[in-house]
Amino acid sequence: MRSMSLILGLLILIYTNFVAANGEHTNNWAVLVCTSRFWFNYRHMANVLSMYRTVKRLGIPDSQIILMLSDDVACNSRNLFPGSVFNNADRALDLYGENVEVDYKGYEVTVENFIRLLTDRWSEDQPKSKRLLTDENSNIFIYLTGHGGADFLKFQDAEEISSHDIADAFAQMYEKKRYNEIFFMIDTCQANTMYSKFYSPNVLAVGSSRLDESSYSHHSDVEIGVAVIDRFTYYTLEFMESIEKNSTLTLQDLFDYYSFEKVHSHVGVRTDLYGKDPSQVLVTDFFGSVQNVVPDERDRDLDLKAAFLNNSSENDEDYDHILNLAIRKSKLVRQDP
Amino acid sequence: MSTSKLRKAVSLWFILFYALVGVPLWYKLTAIYRAPLPVKYIEAVHENLHSDVHVTVPVYVRSDTYTFPDVHDAVQVQVNELLRSKQGPVTWSLQVLPFDNTTVDPELDHVVTLVLDDDIGFTILYDSKETIVFFNDETVASNDVPFFVAQTLVEHTFELEWRKFSSSTGANDQNSMAIEYSPNVHLSLSLLTGDGRPVAWDIEPVLQQYFTPLREFLAPLVNFTVDTDIVQVNDLKLASLRGATSPSWHDLSHAIDLSELSTTNYYKERSVLHLAIVFPSAAAGELDFINATTIHPWQSFLVPQWGVLMLNRKPLDDNTRITESYLKPVIYSFSRELLQLLGLTSGNEDLSTPYVTMESFQRMTILKNLEKSIDTLWSLVKLTQQFPQMAVPREVLDDVTAALDLRLKIVHLLNDPCKGGRSTWNEALHLSNELLALCEKAFFHKEMVQQNFFPQEHKIAVYLPLLGPLTVIMLTGFINAFRKKGLDLDKKER
Repeated sequence: MRSMSLILGLLILIYTNFVAANGEHTNNWAVLVCTSRFWFNYRHMANVLSMYRTVKRLGIPDSQIILMLSDDVACNSRNLFPGSVFNNADRALDLYGENVEVDYKGYEVTVENFIRLLTDRWSEDQPKSKRLLTDENSNIFIYLTGHGGADFLKFQDAEEISSHDIADAFAQMYEKKRYNEIFFMIDTCQANTMYSKFYSPNVLAVGSSRLDESSYSHHSDVEIGVAVIDRFTYYTLEFMESIEKNSTLTLQDLFDYYSFEKVHSHVGVRTDLYGKDPSQVLVTDFFGSVQNVVPDERDRDLDLKAAFLNNSSENDEDYDHILNLAIRKSKLVRQDP
Repeated sequence: MSTSKLRKAVSLWFILFYALVGVPLWYKLTAIYRAPLPVKYIEAVHENLHSDVHVTVPVYVRSDTYTFPDVHDAVQVQVNELLRSKQGPVTWSLQVLPFDNTTVDPELDHVVTLVLDDDIGFTILYDSKETIVFFNDETVASNDVPFFVAQTLVEHTFELEWRKFSSSTGANDQNSMAIEYSPNVHLSLSLLTGDGRPVAWDIEPVLQQYFTPLREFLAPLVNFTVDTDIVQVNDLKLASLRGATSPSWHDLSHAIDLSELSTTNYYKERSVLHLAIVFPSAAAGELDFINATTIHPWQSFLVPQWGVLMLNRKPLDDNTRITESYLKPVIYSFSRELLQLLGLTSGNEDLSTPYVTMESFQRMTILKNLEKSIDTLWSLVKLTQQFPQMAVPREVLDDVTAALDLRLKIVHLLNDPCKGGRSTWNEALHLSNELLALCEKAFFHKEMVQQNFFPQEHKIAVYLPLLGPLTVIMLTGFINAFRKKGLDLDKKER
C-alpha cells in the first residue's frame, strides 16, 4: 500500500513538474525599456539592467535584445561608484560591469521610437541592431519600467505613451505575423491599467500594481543615496536567480511567487488573450533562448563516399550527391559557356 | 467713418478672416493625409486568392521504341482527369506535347521517355528533368500506357505540387527546420576552438573548389554570400557535457550556448545560416558522446532555422592546420543539410531529383510570394481602416499600385501556356520577390507611425494656449463693438 502511494505520488510529481519546452517558437527576443531619466530614478535603470543581465544569462543573444535606457546614472557625477550600477545595497553585482549593449540611449528613448520599434516602421538607414526583427516564430519578452498612471506611462518626463498605443502596436505586429507570443511585464504605478486595453491574441501580461495603487521601491543604498530597485522587479529577480536554462519552472510559478506582503501592491496577471495555461509554459520560453539541437541521422558514409570516390573509376551512380552534380554542371558550363 | 463703425468693421473682418481663412487653413494644415488605396480591388483579390492564376507546365513525350502518334493527347486526357479528381485551391495543369528534338532540351524541359521493357515502372533521372516510363507489350495491348505516364507525372515527377496544390487544404508546409524563403541568404562559417592556441584552416580553396559550384547551382533560387571566421576560446560551453555518454537532445539544447554566434545583425541579409565546426578545449578533454571514427572525427547536429553544428570528439593539437582532407567531407555533409535548412528537403530525405524538385520549389515559392504579398496588402488596408488617425502617404499608394501591376504581370507570365521553361520560372520568381519587397515597403512605410490615441485633455492642453487667447480676444472684441451700438442708442433715448 505504501509503495503504491509512493508510485502514485511520484507520478503526480512528474506530471506536475514536467513541462516540455514550447516547440512553437524558434527564437526569443527581449525588449527592455527604462522610460525614466535623472539620478533620482536610479532604481529604474537598475531594474532594467537586472532584467538585461537575466535574459542574457539565460541565452538570449545581444543581437536579440533591444535595450532602451537613458543611461545617465553609471557616469553621473553623483555616482559614488563611477561606471557601476547596483541593484542591491550589498553591491555584490555590478550590473554595468560587463559588456552592456544599449541600443537606444539618452534622448533616443521616446514614445515614437518605442512604437517604431514594435511596428518596425523605420527609414531605410536604421541599423539592424536597433530593429525588432521578429517573425511568426518569435517569443517576445517586453519589460517596461518608469513612472506611470492610469493608462499611461511617462517617457523621460517629456511625453507619455498610453495603453491604447501599446495595444494598437501589438495589433499591428499581430496583423503582420511578427510574433508567436508576447509576455508583457510592467513595473510602474498603476501598471495593470497599461495592459487593460490589449486586444491582440497570444499576449500574456503581468503588472506590478492595480489602478490607484503605487508601485514601491524595495530599498535604498545609503552611499548611493537613492533607492536601488523596485519591489516587483526585486522579487522577479529573486525568483529568476533560481532559473537555469534547463529549469522546468513555469510562469505560473513566477506569478505564485508574488504576494502582497512582498510587493506591497496587487500584482495583476492577464491571461484571457493568451489561450494557454501559464502553468504549462516554461519561464525559459520567454526569459531564455533554448534552441533545439537535433543529431543529423543521415548516413554519413554516403557523404564520405561521395566526397572521395566521385573521381574514381567506380560507378558514380551509387554516390549521387548534390555537390557532385553541381561540380559536374559547373565543369560543363566552363567547357561550353 | 466714425470710430465705432471702424471698430465694427475691423472686428467683423477679423472674425471673417478667422472663420473663412484661419479655420480652413488650420484644418488643412492639421489634417492627416490618407492616400486612397484601392481597397475594393485588394479585398477582391484577397477573397479570391489565386482565382486568376493557372500555372501550366509543359511536358514533352517521346518514344524511342514504338511510334505513338497521339500518345501526348491520350496522356493529356488522363492527366486532366487525375488533376480534376483532386482539385485544390490553386489551378495548375500539365500541357503534354509531342517531343521535338530541335526545340526541346531534356535538361531544361520536362521530358517523358517511353521505354519498352519486361516490366512496368519509372525512374526520374538525377541529373536532368527527364522521366523514363517503362512499359511492356501487355500494357500497350490494354491501352494502359497513357494512364501509367499520367500517374507517373502527376504523382511522382510533380509530387510536390500535387501534394501542395491538389487538396482542399493544401499540404501542411510547416517545416520547423527550414528558414523562411529569402532570395538572399548569408552563410557564416566558423571554426571554434575551446583553446587560444594558433590554428589555421584551408577553407578558402575548399569553398572555391566544392562550394562555389553549389552556390552557382542554387543561384536561380537563392543568392548566397559567405563569410568565414576563426573563434578562439569558445567551444559553445561543450565542456559542461564532458563525461556524458549519451546526452538527450534536451541536455544538448540546454548545454550548448549559441548566443555569441547569433550575429544576424552584422549582415545585410535578413536570413543567416551558420556552420560551426567546434573543437573542445584541451581542458575539457574528449567528448565521449560524439559518434566519431578515425575518418569521421565529428558528428553533425542541426539547429532549426539556425544552421549546423559539427562537434569534434577530440581537441585540436597545437599549431594545427585543418586541411582539405578534413574539410571536404564537412562541406559535403553541410551541403545536404543546407538543402534541408532551405526547405528543399524535409526530414532525413535526400534530394533524389534535384532538377525537378528545384523547379517545383520555384513554382511553389512564386505562388507563396503572391499569397504573402496580397496578405500584406490586405493587412495594410485593414490597418488603415482600423486606425483613422494613421497617415497614408502618397508613396504607399504608389507602391501598392506598382505591386498590383507587378502581380498581374507575374500572373500573366504563369498563365501563358506558350511559356513555362526554366527562364520563365526564374523570371517569375525574381518578379515575385520584387513584388513581396514592394508590398513590405508599403506596409512598413516610416510615416505610417504615430500615437494613434491622444486623450482629449492632451488635445485641449495643446490647442488651448495657442487658440484660446486669440479666440477670446476676437470674440469679446466683436461682441463689445456691437454691444456698444446698443449702449449708445440707450444713452440717446435717455
